Amino acid sequence: MLSENSFNPKILVLATEACAYPGADAVGKAHLEYGANVYVLRVPSPVLFPEDFYLRCYARGIDGILIAACGSDCPYRGAYDRLAARIDRLTTRMKTGGLEIQRIRLTAICTVCIKAYLKEVGQMDEQLRALGPVNRPLAEQLRIAARAQMREAAHVHAA
Amino acid sequence: MDSVNDTAVQDPAHSASPRVGVYICRCGGNISDVVDTDHVAEVCRLIPGVAVAKVHTFMCSDPGQQTISDDIRQEKLDRVVVASCSPFLHELTFRGAVMRSRMNPYLYEHVNIREQCSWAHKHDPQGATAKAIQLISAAVGKVRCATALEKIRLPNHRRALVVGGGPAGMKVAADLAACGIPVVVVERSDRLGGKLPTLNRLFPDGQNATALTDKLESQVQVNPKIEILLKSEVTQVSGFIGNFEVTIHGDFGPSGQSTDIHTTVGVIVMATGFKPYVPNDGEFSYRKHPAVVTTLDFNALLARQHGNRRTLEFDGRSIRSIAFIHCVGSRQLDGVHAPGPDGRLNTYCSRVCCTTVLNQAVQVRQNFPDTRVYDLHQDIRTYGRGHEEYYTDASRAGVVFFRYHGDEPPKVVHTDGPGSPLRITVKDYLSWGEELELEADMVVLAVGMTPGSCETLVDQLKLPRGEDGFLQEIHPKLRPVEISVNGVLLAGTAQAPMNIHETLAAAGAAAVKARAMFTTDEVELNPYVAEVNTQLCEGSGACLTQCEYDGALTLTEIQQDGRTVRKARVNPGLCVGCGACVAVCPTQAINVSGWRIDQYDAMVDGLVRDMAPATV
Repeated sequence: MLSENSFNPKILVLATEACAYPGADAVGKAHLEYGANVYVLRVPSPVLFPEDFYLRCYARGIDGILIAACGSDCPYRGAYDRLAARIDRLTTRMKTGGLEIQRIRLTAICTVCIKAYLKEVGQMDEQLRALGPVNRPLAEQLRIAARAQMREAAHVHAA
Repeated sequence: MDSVNDTAVQDPAHSASPRVGVYICRCGGNISDVVDTDHVAEVCRLIPGVAVAKVHTFMCSDPGQQTISDDIRQEKLDRVVVASCSPFLHELTFRGAVMRSRMNPYLYEHVNIREQCSWAHKHDPQGATAKAIQLISAAVGKVRCATALEKIRLPNHRRALVVGGGPAGMKVAADLAACGIPVVVVERSDRLGGKLPTLNRLFPDGQNATALTDKLESQVQVNPKIEILLKSEVTQVSGFIGNFEVTIHGDFGPSGQSTDIHTTVGVIVMATGFKPYVPNDGEFSYRKHPAVVTTLDFNALLARQHGNRRTLEFDGRSIRSIAFIHCVGSRQLDGVHAPGPDGRLNTYCSRVCCTTVLNQAVQVRQNFPDTRVYDLHQDIRTYGRGHEEYYTDASRAGVVFFRYHGDEPPKVVHTDGPGSPLRITVKDYLSWGEELELEADMVVLAVGMTPGSCETLVDQLKLPRGEDGFLQEIHPKLRPVEISVNGVLLAGTAQAPMNIHETLAAAGAAAVKARAMFTTDEVELNPYVAEVNTQLCEGSGACLTQCEYDGALTLTEIQQDGRTVRKARVNPGLCVGCGACVAVCPTQAINVSGWRIDQYDAMVDGLVRDMAPATV
């Protein structure tokens, strides 16, 4: 068991309403267990999150984010590809900015993907324990930069 | 400046100091056996904005819901959070409860502390308790910046599509038409009835299956409200409750050429049935010897017997002994049975086969007294009303029973020598594990039920299947004929193995549910579509580049402070609420109502908020 002071990472799972959220429910229904440091938030599609949303999560103290999407079962046209492209850009941003890329992961979890869900949260937990707590000030710097860049790009676009 | 606060200030529904009521469900121990619910309530009272935090044994019960209503009035609550089971079960229940107290239903937030907490962290009560607190803290954060929303109203097309013309489909059609609802039945084969007419004599009343088929068929054939399309299939389906657009392909042309019909229906009933398990080549010598047949073949054989004889006839030969083998294609075990073509084992019990075997065995013994009957089973599951009598009758009629273990199924081999062509070896646990060899002229395999195929609808409507491959209801007890796609209902064996009695009961339930969906001329949809904050929108047009839905997003020119400016505008009837536009807005002016980014930010803040340590 963990000692009082040992690091217990906070894991955020962004789970799609159509697939991964019921998938996470299925794990509980099967009475299979995973760490209580895993928090699931329901989302129609994670395509709605801008890059700086994720960086803000880290800045606030979330140590790792698992984006549990629908993959090819996505009910929204083109959303999964756009999401995947965004996470690619975010990963690059994190890498160049010095934030460990193991803190973000995009995966597909279906409504009955019990084993896949347990594997993903288990691996994330293991990796985060090895990494230690997230560098919050660094994440905040990257968040501000990401937002500023979006504004700038829009001005170029408008002009 | 932080745009989060902008939205909050501009929103008239957002009270300066919202009063949130938090309700924590014990779920009769399902939650409170792991999560210290009293402690959760105590800590939650300290969350800013929380006016009351209470615990109840069953929040979904009438007294539980009444507590919320009373508090909305007495404590002047304007936001409500319930922490209980998965939102898929009771989010609508509690939305309804707050609505009845004249509160906007979208100022309600649901927290899942059962499926995703108490059940998933059974051996970590302290962790589960702390997690429940953080999840509630997140929900309080979200609901505090929630805004009152109005449902989107669209016309409800008063017409039902029934997919499948078997007994379930016919029953649904007849019942709906009796309520005045027009129905279109789409059946793949060239006749109605499905597999029902082949079942010969039905248990538990011995009714003739063709007579029952004829009765159901006569109810649908003559009804002007019912349109029956044979040799046809649904090839395309899209839309939502009240407004499903369906394409049906079949030979509908004036001279029978194949063509498509396009139609709009409000409800779809899945009466797509099952497929009987087909034994693999050589499984119990199936297809290696003609006298190894399935229970379905045997029904047909029984129906073909004419005249008084003392033994059953098959292929012009007298059958002096028959062995029935139970659980063929059901209750399969990893390592014992070969997986099917889809790589899946049928681990479930098909439920109907035990009584089917006994029904057939009794008929053989009663009509052909010189034919011996052996019954090889793992268990006898005659679970239904009037089913156990078949077991008693079979015992009295001299059926000889053998009991095998699931991991040691009987073996069937065929011989060309004199005597009976089939030899069965079985390790029989009614004689304490003795290895016995039986001779039989015929072997009947009690085949189970496997999921029917309805891939077009499953794929296009995203219908969930359970682990067993059958279509999965929302809740086996509370919402047994509904599936997670609103407006789609389940009838009969598309959902699970059922006998004819259960199939017709389920179909009747589906018909009533479908009827209830037509009580209004409009359907209400959740207002989870994109919304534009025109104060923040700078008209960059970035959102438009992301939208995949024609007409859902446009740029329009409006007058603002005496100047003409461009702003994004949403058509709520065409927007699906995916949020692709949200992520790219440089000024965070566009959001999905009910799922706004500032609400997610608030949830994340709630998750990481330092709460009083959960000392249990």
